Amino acid sequence: MHEIGSDIDLAAAFAASPNPYMLLTPDLRYAGMNQAYMQAVGVAKREDLIGKPIFDVFTAGDGAEAPESVRLLRASFEKVLDTGQPDHIALIRYAMPSGPDGAFEDRYWSATHTPVKNSSGELTYILQHTSDVTELELLRRQAGAAERPFVVSALDAIIGGDLLKRARIVQEDNRRLEIERSRLVEMFMQAPGFVAVLSGPNHQFQLFNEAYRRIAAYRDLKGKTVEEALPEVRDQGFIDMLDSVYQTGEPFQGRNVLVQIARPEGGAPIESYLDFIYQPIRDDSGSVVGIFVQGFDVSDAVLSAERQRLMIDELNHRVKNTLATVQSIAMQTARSHQDPQTFAESFQSRLVALSHTHDLLTRSHWEGADLRDILQHETVVHDEHRVVLNGPAVPLEPAAALSLGMIFHELATNAAKYGALAHEQGRVFIDWSVANQNDRTLTLVWREEGGPPVVVPDRRGFGTRLIERNIRHDLAGVVNLRYLTSGFTAEISFPLDRGRQFEPTA
Amino acid sequence: MNQPLDGRRILVVEDESLVAMLIETILEDMGCHTIGPIAGVDEALRTVAEDLKIDGALLDVNVAGREVFPVAEALKARNVPFVFSTGYGEGGLPEHWRGQSTIQKPFTEQTIRDALMKALGVANV
Repeated sequence: MHEIGSDIDLAAAFAASPNPYMLLTPDLRYAGMNQAYMQAVGVAKREDLIGKPIFDVFTAGDGAEAPESVRLLRASFEKVLDTGQPDHIALIRYAMPSGPDGAFEDRYWSATHTPVKNSSGELTYILQHTSDVTELELLRRQAGAAERPFVVSALDAIIGGDLLKRARIVQEDNRRLEIERSRLVEMFMQAPGFVAVLSGPNHQFQLFNEAYRRIAAYRDLKGKTVEEALPEVRDQGFIDMLDSVYQTGEPFQGRNVLVQIARPEGGAPIESYLDFIYQPIRDDSGSVVGIFVQGFDVSDAVLSAERQRLMIDELNHRVKNTLATVQSIAMQTARSHQDPQTFAESFQSRLVALSHTHDLLTRSHWEGADLRDILQHETVVHDEHRVVLNGPAVPLEPAAALSLGMIFHELATNAAKYGALAHEQGRVFIDWSVANQNDRTLTLVWREEGGPPVVVPDRRGFGTRLIERNIRHDLAGVVNLRYLTSGFTAEISFPLDRGRQFEPTA
Repeated sequence: MNQPLDGRRILVVEDESLVAMLIETILEDMGCHTIGPIAGVDEALRTVAEDLKIDGALLDVNVAGREVFPVAEALKARNVPFVFSTGYGEGGLPEHWRGQSTIQKPFTEQTIRDALMKALGVANV
């Protein structure tokens, strides 16, 4: 058998062939063509074609069938690019420019598209062999259109009548299969989960959808093996899992599996949690030829479970802290009350104050509470004309709200017991303002008027210590309690934007 | 009553003022002198660096949203015994600090006393 040797000039043979040939690059631009092709498509100069996208040159005209013709031809090229296998179009109607006036003429073609690969197996060109079969097709149509069977010639009986009819049937089958295939592909592409088809023992990507591209950080996957496209997943065990499925033919199912994909810009990898299955694909003889991958990104579910765990921890922490706070209130209240009856009253009212602020915070889902609401809560038992609130809305974070709830409770209790609210005519004026918009400071003045004569306490009780400690320790603020003859006053100021990032000055 | 911890200087790191007040009162009853209470990690680190006479410490694990562990490291480096206090469960401590003396909130006077005496190596006579 004669082998094609280097002594045969393939390029010259290609150029001289009476059959029309042309080469397309993978992005569907003309790379080359022979003289027969130039004649068939009616283009005189090679430069008019080389480097141009084929669909820019041949638009199939503006007839009703043109979009379908372009689609059919493009689908054939894409099939070759996707599969690396030759594809045939038995018959395609594709209008060509017929003259200098820009008119189009219907032409019928038969074409074969063959992949041309380099030594490393990459597809570098698509070779098209095309034949203009317009005359045959027109003869066949005339025969079909006649009232009675009309045999033009023996040749036509063979070619136009039967051969082309068979070709049309095959073509119709191809078209139907092509539609089915593209519907399936479309379903894969639009699936909410990720889908990929891997081919061969090295798991080469043959098909993958948008969801798969997303978890693969939009890397270039086309035609690559999993290890080429995503080298970092080997150490994460994924290639071993694929190898095992390929070798044993047993499917593999993963749940909540973490995959880490490196970012092109570096830094922490993109982490996703996946539920997935690797299903072997078998050929007619039952051998495994590939792996079907499908699954869902369950990161949101995994992360929300983690958040829930953190929230339960945080809740536990808060409950324990609240219990410790209550314990502290009980113990310190007990120290200043010898009588169990007054202890119980005082302890309960402090608990209720704490609970009120919790209620306020619960209403805002623990986002915070407004200063005025807290003040109103703690002074609601008194006539609103006797407790005058004056100041802007000031949203407070939960910790500050809880502290101020306790502080206002102590101030209101003292006012009712010993101060302005112990006297029918007495009033309390509470004025506040926010200074310095960049580093906001709240200043609040609690001023009592018209109460009984003011007595400076001989020792600092729990209430006073609680006020001072809370403001300095928890709010990083300053407080000045004054027992003036005109009435008790408390001046409080503290930073509002401290958040939790700055340290309070103890 | 015998006061085995009488005169000891105990650093208290705790961000909730009412809880801090409780600890302070308990320590006072035990005859201890309270350093602080301190409500922040940085402030506590400064105190550990500057105060040379700390006999022991009671550290809230979560201080104003931060973990107290840098303070624990600083105390460990100075061989100052300390006890963690936490509202989180037993599993709240990271691996590194498992086995360190810890009291759970809410705590009684007795648990604070026992934990401090054990940490400071003082016999309960």
